Amino acid sequence: MAEMKYWKGLEEKEINSVPLQSEEFSESLPVVSELGNKIETLTSSRRDFLKVMGFSVTAATVAASCEMPVRKSIPYIVKPDEIIPGVANYYASTYAEGGDYCSVLVKTREGRPIKIEGNKLSKITKGGTSALAQASILGLYDNYRLTKAVANGEETTWKKADEAIIAELEAIQAAGGKIRIVSSTLLSPSTKQAIKDFIAKYPSAKHVTYDAVSCTGILKANEATFGKKVIPGYRFDNTDLIVSVGADFLGSWISPVEYAAQYGAKRKLSKETKTMNRHIQVESTLSLAGSNADKRILVKPSHEAVALTHIYNVLASKSGAATVSLSGLDETAKTELTKVADELLAAKGKSLVVSGSNDVNVQLVVNAINILLGNYGTTIDLSAYSNQRQGDDAEMDALVSELGSGDALIVFDSNPVYSYAKKDAFKSALEKVKLSVSLNPKPDETTVLCKYSCPNHHYLEAWNDAEPKNGSFSITQPTIAPLFKTRSAAESFLKWAGIDTPYYDYIRNYWSQNIFPKQTHFASFDMLWDRTVHDGVLDTQVAAETWTPAAIDISAAVAAIAKNAGAADAVELVVYEKIAIRDGKFADNPWLQEVPDPISKITWDNYVCVSKKMAERLGLKQALSKINTSSGTETDLVKVAANGYEITLPVIVQPGTADYTLAIALGYGREVASKTKAVGQNAFPFLQANGGSYSTVIAGATIELVAGSYKVAQTQMHHSIQTPMEKVGKQMERRIIKETTLAEYSANPYAGNEDRKEIQEHLKTLYPDHEKLKRGNQWEMTIDLSSCIGCNACVVACTVENNVPVVGKDEVVRAREMHWLRIDRYFSGSDENPSVVFQPMLCQHCDNAPCENVCPVAATNHSSDGLNQMAYNRCIGTRYCANNCPFKVRRFNWFDYLGADSFRKETIFNNEHDVTEMSEDLTRMVLNPDVTVRSRGVMEKCSFCVQRIQEGKLKAKKAGRGLQDADITVACQTACPTHAISFGDINNKESEVYKIANDERGFKVLEELHVLPSITYLTKVRNTEKSEA
Amino acid sequence: MSAYESQIREPLVTGSKDYHQITKDIVRSTESVPPLIWFLITGFTATVMTIGFIAIGYTVWMGIGAWGLNKTVGWAWDITNFVWWIGIGHAGTLISAILLIFRQRWRTGINRSAEAMTIFAVMCAGLFPAIHMGRPWLAFFIFPYPNTRGPLWVNFTSPLLWDVFAISTYFTVSLLFWYSGLLPDFATIRDQAKGKIRKMIYNKLSFGWTGSAKHWQRFESLSLVLAGLATPLVLSVHTIVSFDFATSVIPGWHTTIFPPYFVAGAIFSGFAMVLTLMIITRKALKVEDYITINHIESMNKIIILTGSIVGVAYLTELFMAWYSGFPYEQYAFYNRALGPYWWAYWIMMTCNVISPQLFWFKKLRRSIYFTFVMSIIINIGMWFERFVIIVTSLHRDYLPSSWVYYSPTIVEMGIYLGTLGLFFTLFLLFARAFPVVAIAEVKAILKTSGDKQKREQHEPVANGHHH
Amino acid sequence: MDKYIVGLFDDDEVLLKAVAAVRKAGVKIHDVLTPFPVHGLDTAMGIKESRLHTVGFIAGAIGCISAISFIVWTNTVSYPLNIGGKPFAAIPSYIPVTFEITVLSASITMVVSFFVRSGLSIFKEPRIFDERTTDNRFAMIFDLKDVDAGKVKEVLKQTGAVEVNEKNFES
Repeated sequence: MAEMKYWKGLEEKEINSVPLQSEEFSESLPVVSELGNKIETLTSSRRDFLKVMGFSVTAATVAASCEMPVRKSIPYIVKPDEIIPGVANYYASTYAEGGDYCSVLVKTREGRPIKIEGNKLSKITKGGTSALAQASILGLYDNYRLTKAVANGEETTWKKADEAIIAELEAIQAAGGKIRIVSSTLLSPSTKQAIKDFIAKYPSAKHVTYDAVSCTGILKANEATFGKKVIPGYRFDNTDLIVSVGADFLGSWISPVEYAAQYGAKRKLSKETKTMNRHIQVESTLSLAGSNADKRILVKPSHEAVALTHIYNVLASKSGAATVSLSGLDETAKTELTKVADELLAAKGKSLVVSGSNDVNVQLVVNAINILLGNYGTTIDLSAYSNQRQGDDAEMDALVSELGSGDALIVFDSNPVYSYAKKDAFKSALEKVKLSVSLNPKPDETTVLCKYSCPNHHYLEAWNDAEPKNGSFSITQPTIAPLFKTRSAAESFLKWAGIDTPYYDYIRNYWSQNIFPKQTHFASFDMLWDRTVHDGVLDTQVAAETWTPAAIDISAAVAAIAKNAGAADAVELVVYEKIAIRDGKFADNPWLQEVPDPISKITWDNYVCVSKKMAERLGLKQALSKINTSSGTETDLVKVAANGYEITLPVIVQPGTADYTLAIALGYGREVASKTKAVGQNAFPFLQANGGSYSTVIAGATIELVAGSYKVAQTQMHHSIQTPMEKVGKQMERRIIKETTLAEYSANPYAGNEDRKEIQEHLKTLYPDHEKLKRGNQWEMTIDLSSCIGCNACVVACTVENNVPVVGKDEVVRAREMHWLRIDRYFSGSDENPSVVFQPMLCQHCDNAPCENVCPVAATNHSSDGLNQMAYNRCIGTRYCANNCPFKVRRFNWFDYLGADSFRKETIFNNEHDVTEMSEDLTRMVLNPDVTVRSRGVMEKCSFCVQRIQEGKLKAKKAGRGLQDADITVACQTACPTHAISFGDINNKESEVYKIANDERGFKVLEELHVLPSITYLTKVRNTEKSEA
Repeated sequence: MSAYESQIREPLVTGSKDYHQITKDIVRSTESVPPLIWFLITGFTATVMTIGFIAIGYTVWMGIGAWGLNKTVGWAWDITNFVWWIGIGHAGTLISAILLIFRQRWRTGINRSAEAMTIFAVMCAGLFPAIHMGRPWLAFFIFPYPNTRGPLWVNFTSPLLWDVFAISTYFTVSLLFWYSGLLPDFATIRDQAKGKIRKMIYNKLSFGWTGSAKHWQRFESLSLVLAGLATPLVLSVHTIVSFDFATSVIPGWHTTIFPPYFVAGAIFSGFAMVLTLMIITRKALKVEDYITINHIESMNKIIILTGSIVGVAYLTELFMAWYSGFPYEQYAFYNRALGPYWWAYWIMMTCNVISPQLFWFKKLRRSIYFTFVMSIIINIGMWFERFVIIVTSLHRDYLPSSWVYYSPTIVEMGIYLGTLGLFFTLFLLFARAFPVVAIAEVKAILKTSGDKQKREQHEPVANGHHH
Repeated sequence: MDKYIVGLFDDDEVLLKAVAAVRKAGVKIHDVLTPFPVHGLDTAMGIKESRLHTVGFIAGAIGCISAISFIVWTNTVSYPLNIGGKPFAAIPSYIPVTFEITVLSASITMVVSFFVRSGLSIFKEPRIFDERTTDNRFAMIFDLKDVDAGKVKEVLKQTGAVEVNEKNFES
């Protein structure tokens, strides 16, 4: 029977048919046989019965008598149809926080959201997600959330709170006092409508949008040039040449996930496509975008603007437009930038120039350049403009100055007391006003100072909508009933406006009136609504308007820029956003704190980045020895002062930082932040007012060495892939990464990968007949080093999916982080301006796994479908497997990190290693029930998401068909915005993974060891000229 | 049995002993009340031992995180100590088994306490594989016992499992060998005993031995065969321990030279430890006539030999690394000598390779004090050899992204000290309750190797036999 | 009441000659006790060679075979697991354990059979003919059931016994 194949039709016969029992378990389950032959021969006498009963009674008595923790499990009385215990449901929804947008699918188990996936139907994010979106799920189960309305520090009912607030509002309104609403960028049209209604009720009210890190410059520039105060829709996927001046569009600038998806699409190489665009980054600190650039030009912060004007000049002179003169740029940069300008001209209409500057004048120059290059309409779309940054710094300044003792202030989804440049001014204003209300869901710096707090729902609990880009709409739908007595912020506004419609109905009404007319596809609104709720997104046709640019007064703009251009040896400070922490709104999320910065690989801190030259000038011995010995955690402390504010921070030598430049990350130093108090220092007060906007480039900074040293939690030291054997004067190359240039690649697809053939010829097996075990499904993965931008979304996705513990700073300092998937960062080239390569590293599921051989208890062994699997409850924790792993991807539970076998926090056995507070009942709800929570003393590692593989197998089996490629996707794969990761059955010739694994660029890490890894990496291809390579 | 022995050979029993004198000399220490100094020292070592047990308790309660280990360095002091103790153990078996087969008469003076040392060392060693586990309470998983999980057996391809069998077998066989050798001497003590209880206890210990001719015959055949078994066993044990590393894929571990190199190293360190103990014991228990300077010299000779073998092994490793052309291997050894742990490597080199060469000078070889100092230096060196092999190979292997630095915590150090405490406490108790020299065996060689007897053989007494 | 005659010697070579002489005289020796193994004594007394090593060999062989077959059985029949891409019966890697089991079973069996055959145990209350036999005397024991006291004493005198005593035990 084992050899027979059943099939229902020919088409089915072709594909490898219904998995046979023999294929599924090539070793038949021993338990069955164990019982099978004994069960009927079992006999038990009366004596046996008495023995057993006697024992069980005693056992029961003993067990019952000792204290047991109470575990509530209540069966459904009426089971909802859509919920089948053990089967996950996916709901389309939207992650939209402070302008960050991600269309997502929410995975729920037994009505409990446990995972965020990207929504492939979204034309904007194309199924990609960000680290923040992935981690947002933990915010839902945060035991520090506000659970009900609070008035003057007393918990109260919504009814009472509303009455009080309305009374005060009306009083203020009557007395002619000002009512101000401060919110971060709102993407929800319905919420905005609700606020409009509120303002209608209280005419003296005004809504001020405030972004901690704003794009006022772009908004104002476009207002000036095109009469429309918007951020254009950038189309990186239409570009042949990207020139980004200080804009980290892959990491934190405006809409990174969207841009990353476009960027990845344009740079994807395969057997078919052998072309990619070129990316030049002009910047002062090594950003994520910069680390992916094909060419990187290093200038000091204030000279980024100067560089732009230089590019403009060259373009202008060659296309007969008005030129301007601006000095200060050093010669090498000048010549390189001239080359860039020439390249831009060559790519006229297919190029894109962006700048991260928040200075309107700089953005005007950028507009001028893009106009000269005729990029509008091709790579810049002004019709489908973006709503993702709407904040205007000037309005915020005005608000702070105008508020008085008779006024009201409502803070919504923003935390100015922490993140506003003049935070003290705001604070005093807040303390001054008569009525202060916070709608923030958690106690933060601003909320604790407010008279009332009316906590908003977590986005997974509420209905909402979003319009990230003009004409693109999406729906947020609740995936769980509100955990606490919180209320949707929009609903609060409606209540205070005296409107009692539930927010859900309100949204529907809004859509039927405003969005339904915009489209023609759906005949009835209900059809549109149901469809949109199902898909999560709705794209309406946007009439392509024609935008005629007004004349740009370049000379004025350049004059303004010239004022800010610093001397070559003037120390300048630049503050930036990290991919995981961003503006610090979610700095209290341990998952995000533990994500290493892709460049510095440091977790749980912000710090000052300086160049090596600078460090030598300042005599930063510890910081320097740290990079030289690459085996220390201690570094120097420095005091940085600028713009009348100073902080003391650890300092690190960061290759790729311009000289005379200090870089500090924003988003740290949250004082009121639940789980992660006092991590790093707040850098927002450094932000420098500059003509109506706040600049992230601060002139006149000073730095001085402070006595003492500081431990930084770095997951990887600064190594280049070349391991210097300096003492014996010999470079030793490790062929872990393979790269090549586009030129070489298009000439020879095997470029950079030539040695693989030879290696493979040397691989001989001693056990040829053992190969037969590799039949049936064999799971393999491919990772394209050219596509990976190092954004760490996969790392967080893996953490969430697999209940990977967070260990906290002290443990990371001891090099004990638990991430199953890490992104190795290697430098090559010069210290000043190195090239960077990212290599996602996870268990390679070797077919000849060294770890399996050494485990004394066979706790790790090979599954019949090619997985290197861990039996956690068999593991005794000898760590031999980890020692013998050439990739060092195995992780050991040194302590009880997830509270798996520890008592709750309050008990005397307080487990200080449970950083995420997973021993709290509420927090535990985030755990994936399909994945074992590992106990102390157990080894763990990537399982290739075996739970998803099983789910897929069962799905196929229930459908009575063979496995299809789409049945199984692993967590890291789904999270990746650039689709660098593919996963599937290598024995299925149709599968994507089979095709990619056989690409000319395919290679395996340490292939010469003959451990036969299951992960194929694809050579990194850089679009560089020979001279740069 | 008057096998004639050349006069050139130095006597192995000095002080003109006769049978009765031997009995008295050895039994004395078991009869007298120990001096105050003995109580002081034992009290001290017992305290150190207790500290060790506290450290172990702390580790089990808190988790292995209490040690300095990390994601890259999964073993450090734990396995270093394990290998170190096992190595020390080897000398005892070597002296009693291999030297027995080679009919080396000088072994008789020292084999008893050397074997005792073996057993105590193996006890210390055995501790580490157990406590280095993340979940020691599940240690029984490593035994292939029938169970209801399949039944799921153990992984017989794992060197760590081989260790389990090797160590337990080694311990058992050493214990049997040692104890069966003790029977006649316990009987002697019994027959010397005055008190009734004392007689009773030592009779039980001696299993009622009387010295009947037939028993002696079986006894001899037993010890010979056990010696025959123990010889390949002792070689196999450290070979298997070396497999823990040799069969891995880590540069610096994956080395075919390991088995012989480890065995030589083991004997090297073992003899050093025997010397440390003997030099104290012979003074403390006044048995200089049985553990003579000649014994010490013979052991020093073996130390030069094994020390040189170890040295050659180190150099061979370096050569092979260069010759292999395998970049990872090359870097591993470069990193040992010049990387962050260079100091450990050079301590190892100095203690194990350079210093023992001084034993080429007869004067130093026969100097008690020099030998004593050297014995300690060598054991320090051998500890560092294991540390260097384990830690420097792990902390920087294939992927530079995972490179780290390891440093121990107080807890690890406490555990190591604890085992030293345990070892010396056990030996001190042994020295007072057991015959530290094999009485029967010394008597058996008295005629051939006693100084008085040698003289008589040289110029025979006129009236032939003195009765 | 068991009656014995104990002839004490103070030198092993004298003892050896004595044993030969006594046997020539046709006197049955009950036992000879010595403080250390006297080589050639067993042949002089005509004791058969010990079969202990044969026992050891057989035990070792059994241990070896059962060990290897058990290991192979667990990995091929009972619960085959794919470990590191090795065949289920990865014989070379089973050698170490097999060897250890061999040695272990041989040694234990031998020691046990040594004690059993020699009747030595912690419960044994041996008959001490003379306490010096574990010190510096070599004793030749005669059982008066099968020898004549006078003859024995005479022979012992001739062969150089330093002492001749009678020793009785309650039976």
